[in-house]
Amino acid sequence: MSETKGDFVRVCLADHGSHLLRYARRLTGDPERAQDAVQETFLALWRADHEGLRPRILPWLLAVCRNKALDRNKKERPMVALQEGSAPSVEVSPQDGALAREREWRVRTALDALPERQQEVVVLKFQNGLSYREIAEVTGLSVSNVGFQLHVALKTLRERLAEDKTAGGAA
Amino acid sequence: MSVEKERLTAYVLDEVEATERAAIEAALAADPELRAEVEELRLLGGELRTVLAAEPEPIFDPKRRQAVEHGPATLGSRGLTYLASWLRWPVLVPVAVCGLLLIVFLSRGPEITPDSKVVETPVPDSAEAEVVAVVPPPVEAAPEPGRAQPTAPRTGTVPTEVAATTAGAEAERTGFQPPPVEPTAMPVQQADQLVALATPPPTPLPQPRPKRDGVLSHLQGVALFDETSSSFGGAGPLMMRTLTPPGAPVMADEGISLPGAQGDPNFNTEAYDRIRDNPFKDPRQDPLSTFSIDVDTAAYANVRRFLERSALPPPDAVRIEELVNYFDYAYPEPTGKEPFAVDVEVNQAPWKPEHRLLRIGIKGRTMKSQARPAANLVFLLDVSGSMNHPDKLPLVQRSLRLLVEQLGPSDRVAIAVYAGSSGLVLPSTPGSEGATILQALDRLQAGGSTNGGQGIRLAYDVARQHFVPGGINRVVLATDGDFNVGVTNRGELTRLIEDQAKSKIFLTVLGFGSGNLKDAQMEELADRGNGQYAYIDRLQEARKVLVEQLGGTLQTIAKDVKLQLEFNPAAVKAYRLIGYENRVLAKEDFNDDTKDAGELGAGHTVTALYELVPSEVAFEFKGVDPLKYQQTAPSGKGTMELGTLKLRYKEPEGSRSGLLAFTLRDKGRKAPERSPDFAFAAAVAGFGLLLRGSEYKAGSSYTQVRELTTPGLARDPHGYRREFLGLVDRAERLALPPPIPDPLPTGEAEPTGGGR
Repeated sequence: MSETKGDFVRVCLADHGSHLLRYARRLTGDPERAQDAVQETFLALWRADHEGLRPRILPWLLAVCRNKALDRNKKERPMVALQEGSAPSVEVSPQDGALAREREWRVRTALDALPERQQEVVVLKFQNGLSYREIAEVTGLSVSNVGFQLHVALKTLRERLAEDKTAGGAA
Repeated sequence: MSVEKERLTAYVLDEVEATERAAIEAALAADPELRAEVEELRLLGGELRTVLAAEPEPIFDPKRRQAVEHGPATLGSRGLTYLASWLRWPVLVPVAVCGLLLIVFLSRGPEITPDSKVVETPVPDSAEAEVVAVVPPPVEAAPEPGRAQPTAPRTGTVPTEVAATTAGAEAERTGFQPPPVEPTAMPVQQADQLVALATPPPTPLPQPRPKRDGVLSHLQGVALFDETSSSFGGAGPLMMRTLTPPGAPVMADEGISLPGAQGDPNFNTEAYDRIRDNPFKDPRQDPLSTFSIDVDTAAYANVRRFLERSALPPPDAVRIEELVNYFDYAYPEPTGKEPFAVDVEVNQAPWKPEHRLLRIGIKGRTMKSQARPAANLVFLLDVSGSMNHPDKLPLVQRSLRLLVEQLGPSDRVAIAVYAGSSGLVLPSTPGSEGATILQALDRLQAGGSTNGGQGIRLAYDVARQHFVPGGINRVVLATDGDFNVGVTNRGELTRLIEDQAKSKIFLTVLGFGSGNLKDAQMEELADRGNGQYAYIDRLQEARKVLVEQLGGTLQTIAKDVKLQLEFNPAAVKAYRLIGYENRVLAKEDFNDDTKDAGELGAGHTVTALYELVPSEVAFEFKGVDPLKYQQTAPSGKGTMELGTLKLRYKEPEGSRSGLLAFTLRDKGRKAPERSPDFAFAAAVAGFGLLLRGSEYKAGSSYTQVRELTTPGLARDPHGYRREFLGLVDRAERLALPPPIPDPLPTGEAEPTGGGR
C-alpha cells in the first residue's frame, strides 16, 4: 500500500488534531499558543520517520506537543492557568439530570485542584486512554512513577469527593 | 493476602500482568471490602472519563491546518500561515489567491484547492473508475434442477414429536473423546478457498450504489472533519488496483450489469473466519453432539448484500444457521415456567430423500412491549471517516431514529461516539425527551479514524452510571467494523466486554456498510458481551432488528443456551449438524456452567437442523473402513427413538444452569407430511449449502429451494420470505454457466464431494 507521508500526516491530523489541541490548551492555558504548539507538532511529524511511528503515533504526538507547549510557556510568558473553560456553570434546576450535573462539576473541580503532574497523568489516562508505559513516554516519568502519581491522584479525588458527599452523592 | 493499594489501582486500570491479576482476583474473591474499593475506583474512573470526554474539542485553525497538510516543503510553516493570513485583507486577495493557487498547483497537484471549504466527498459514484470488478470464484455448479424431488408438501401442522422426560436429570458421563471438529478429508475445492483467503477474500463486486432518496444529499451536507482524511484510507481506485489479486477471475455475465463505476473502496479488507462444514459423524464413536445456540442473523443480511450487488458471497460469509435463523417460524409458545419451548420435526432430507432431516425449533417467550422492563441504552457510534457513506452513518442515524421512537419515558438513551477521539454527544436522556435525542443523532458527522477502545469504556461507564436494576442495560455498538483498539489492547477489550457482561451490561453489535466489515471480530465481540450481532444494510433491516424484535434484540430471556444431542446408534448410522460450525462445543462444555454460550431473546426463534442417515441406509464414512466388530443394530421401520435432546440454559441473571431433556422420535413421515415451516427451513439450509458449494449439498438445487419455499409463503407478514425467493433467483443467475449434469447414481447413499 503506497501511503505518502502527506497522507499519513493528514490522517493523523484528522484523528488526533483535536486531542492535541485539548491537551496543549491544558498545558499552555492559552488557545493561541495551543494552536501554535499543535501546528509545530505536525510539522515535526513531516520530518519524522512515519513508518516507525505508526504503531505508537498518539504517544509520540502528545510527547512532541507537550515539549512544544512547554517551550512556548518558557519563551513567552508563564502559564496562566492550567485549565480554563471549567468555570462553574451549574444551573441548579430541580430536573432529573441536575444532581448528576452537579456531581460532574464536583469531579471537574476536584480534578482541577490536583497538582499539575497528577492532573496530567489523569488526563493522559482517562481522556487519551494511554497505558502507563505510554504516559511515561509522553511525560518522561518512569513507568512506576506514573503508576504512583495516578494512584495518588485517584486517592485524593476519592477523598475530596467523599468530603462532598455530605451535600449528597449522585447517579 | 493483602493487596497493595497502588497495585489495586493498577489492576483497575488494566495495568497488571496475568499472574498478578490472578492473585488480585483471588484476594478480591475473599475480601468484600476490597471488592467495594475496586468498584469505587471503577466508578471514579468512569466519571473521569465522562467528564473529560465532555470537554470541548477545540477546532484547529484552518490556515494552520493547511500549512500542516501541505508540509514544510512548500513554503515553510510560518510562511504559509502568514500568506494565508493575508487573505483577510481584501486588497491582497486576488494576488494572494493566484500565488497560493500556483504554489499549491506546483507542490501538490491540482486536486487540492486552496479553499478549505471545498469538500471532497468520496462518494463511490464519482468518475475515476478504472476498476476491475472481481467476483468470487463461482460456487460449484448446482446439480440439475428438478432432480427427483418428492411432491410439494401439503400444508397443515404436524404434531410435535417430543416427549418430555426427565427435566432436571443429571446428564451421563461418557468416556468418549470429544467430537473431532476436523473433517475427515479435505476436499479439493478447499484448496481454492485457502488461496482465496490468503489473498484478500473474494470480493463483492464494486457496484455503484443506487442513490437513495435524500441520503446522498444528506451526506454531502455533512461537513467532513477533514476533507482529505476520508479520501485516504477509503480512497478508492488506487487501493483497489493494488489489492486486487492478480489473475482473479473476472466474471461478466450478460443480464447482470457489471458496473464500470468504482465500488466500495474498502471492500477487500473484509474478514471472514474460515468455515468448514461439519462432517458426518458416527454415533458409535461420537454419540454426543454439543453446540451453542446462535441467534445472530448478520450472515443473511450480508449474503443479501452480495447478491444484490450481483456477486456470489464468499463461502465463508455464508453461515447457514444464521441464514435459517433470519426467519421467524411459528413454533409453539412456551406454556410452562421455562422461558422457551422446544419443537421437533423429522422428515425426509429434501436433497437426499433417503436421509432424514431433524429440525429442532426453540421459541423464546414473547414479551408484550408494555411488559418490557425499562431500558438503559448507550449507543456507541463509529463516526470515523469510513462511516461517511450513505450506507453507513446516515443509515445508522435513520435506524436509531426508529428505535428511539419505540422508547417510553422510563427508558434512557445516551449517545457516545468514537473516531480518532471519543466523546459523549448525548448524556443519558429519558426516552420521553425524544426530540433532544433525535437532534443529537442528526448532528453526528463522520470524520477521523477509529479508536474504539476509549469509546467503549466511555459507553460502559455511562451505562453503569445509569444502571437500571432488573432492566435492560445495554451498549449498542454501531460500526462498519474497523474497530481498531490498537494491537496490544485486543485482549483487554474482550476482557472488558466479558467483565461488563458479568455485571449485567450487555453488548449488541450492529454492523453497517460494506468493504470494511470485520465480520468475525464483530460477532465475537457480541458473543463476549452476551449480545447479538446483526448486519444492517437498509432501513427495512433496521426496522426488523430494532423495532419488530425490540424485545428480542434488547432483552435476553435465557443465556448460555446449549444443546446436546445423544444419538442412538441403533437408529442413526450417521449424523451431521448443518451450520453452527463456530458454535460447536466439546461435550464436557455442556455441563460446565463457566462455558459461555448463546443468548435467547424474547420472542426469538432458533432453529437447528441435523441430517441423519438412518441405520438401514448404506453409508460409508470417508476414509474409514467399515467397522467389523461394532454391532450395527438392525432396526425396523416405524417409530423409533433417534436419541435424546438436552438443553441447558441460565436465567438472564443466573449463574447456574437448568436442564431440560426430550426424547427424539422419528415417525417415518414422508415429504408430503412436512410442515410449511419445516420445508422453509430446509429451503434456506439448501440455499446455504449451494452458496457454500458444500460437499454435502447432494441433490440440492435452486429449483428445489424454490419449491420448498412456496408453502411457507402463506405466513410471511413482513415479506421476508418473498424477498428470499428473489435472492434465490439472483443466486441462480449468478451461478451460471449451467451446471454440469450430476452423475451421482441415485441409489448411492454416500455424500460425495460437491455432488460430482
